[in-house]
Amino acid sequence: MEFVSPEGLRLDGRRPMEMRQIRGEVGAVSKADGSAIFEMGNTKVIAAVYGPREVQNRGQQMSDQALVRCEYSMANFSTGDRMRKPKGDRRSIEISLVIRQTMEACIMTHLMPRSQIDIFVQVLQADGGTRSACINAATLALADAGIPMRDLVTSCSAGYLNSTPLLDLNYIEDSAGGPDVTVGILSKLDKVTLLQMDAKLPMDIFENVMQLAVEGCKAIANYIREVLLENTKQLEHRRGI
Amino acid sequence: MVGLSVGEKHFIQGGIAQDLRSDGRKRLTYRPISVETGVLAQANGSARVKLGGTDVIASVKAELGRPNHLYPDKGKVSIYVDCSPTAAPMFEGRGGEELSAELSAALQRCLLGGRSGAGAGINLSALIVVEGKMCWDLYIDGLVVSSDGNLLDALGAAIKAALSNTGIPKVNVAVGASADEEPEVDISDEEFLQFDTSGVPVIVTLTKVGRHYIADATLEEESQMSSALSVSVDRHGHICGMMKRGGAGLDPSVILDMISVSKHVSDQLIAKLDSEISAAEVDEAES
Repeated sequence: MEFVSPEGLRLDGRRPMEMRQIRGEVGAVSKADGSAIFEMGNTKVIAAVYGPREVQNRGQQMSDQALVRCEYSMANFSTGDRMRKPKGDRRSIEISLVIRQTMEACIMTHLMPRSQIDIFVQVLQADGGTRSACINAATLALADAGIPMRDLVTSCSAGYLNSTPLLDLNYIEDSAGGPDVTVGILSKLDKVTLLQMDAKLPMDIFENVMQLAVEGCKAIANYIREVLLENTKQLEHRRGI
Repeated sequence: MVGLSVGEKHFIQGGIAQDLRSDGRKRLTYRPISVETGVLAQANGSARVKLGGTDVIASVKAELGRPNHLYPDKGKVSIYVDCSPTAAPMFEGRGGEELSAELSAALQRCLLGGRSGAGAGINLSALIVVEGKMCWDLYIDGLVVSSDGNLLDALGAAIKAALSNTGIPKVNVAVGASADEEPEVDISDEEFLQFDTSGVPVIVTLTKVGRHYIADATLEEESQMSSALSVSVDRHGHICGMMKRGGAGLDPSVILDMISVSKHVSDQLIAKLDSEISAAEVDEAES
């Protein structure tokens, strides 16, 4: 199948290095301590953060740092065909773990010992790149909750199809079976916190593809910073400063 | 769970007794309701309803299936509700399952009528493609994104809005197929049939706190309830379904009183919801 036309356009009309439209919004769930909606094209996720609060299961309490927990769930209607999967299948557990580890790396957990932070991400629409979208939403939600972080973690995927590196794969490109590199970075510190790849790729091409994904992450980080800045300005305005 | 001090509990109960609740509402006033339709691109119809701090999404997906052999002239509709852990940490893992099952059952009771489909808010005969052979199965999924009490009314409103947003593809059946063959169909991508949703009822829940009952209770108020009665009422003021929740017993005369009050409240709710749905559809068409 042809994923990049001779004119250099992808199935959804994007250029190979072009990202889908991204949109982030802070404060989607009124009851949560922090929450956000993040969209990458048709992929749409909601993240909610509860905490820092008292640890519920005393056995898990840590005296030197905060406990970070994460749960990823997909809505029944999120995929093209309606699915009815039991909660907590292997894929969800794996993604929950990935998100937890990525967020733990940026939260300054040592500042909040004996407490617990819960991150819940809910996929409303899945169209490829849910992992990345969830991490981006979780970052926004954590920032909204005012939890101290070292930096903003952002994530983006890139792939390699028809001998072309492609940024931000959608569902059709993702299921084409080519390599799919998901990268998460701390944008200011310039450190990679998440790296996952399936299928195979020659070393020198991998470097290009990963570089492309990192560029994508940086673009998202800039956008998230703008959203947060805008949100802070509005808060300021409401307080009449 | 909601943690309230003795003082706060007295404040809520006292306010309700004086017809002035904590957020300034009267006993039978609803919180502001906002409707957004067409929020999910992949569904046949969808809507997001916010009722104060409560936020729910409903989606309608249609699939072709076989009708039940007992009712060959009717399509099938099922309602599932899922409580997302984003709404409350206690819904984490399997924690939300009990509430999800309770809400699903209540919505099925209130909107779908009896097992035969009699009294359903949706005309099930309209879902038939080939009698006895093929029909549309409607899957209605509700998702609770944020919970601040009165989930049932919000879900009912969201489903009503999602149904009026739903377009079912027109199906052309190839003529000449014999009676025992599978009919050949051609699903159109351009022509869509809209539903008649004027018969879909709204759900009004009256929550009894102390000696009085209130409409559209918040989470704090719900924690003080002794019992609640959910009544689904359609446009003509007919009662389509009913459910009592909570442990405490209710005097039958109080129940009758609550039903007539809910009928009165539903008039305003239907009018408000209709105007919100049409406004949301105009918004969607413009964007």
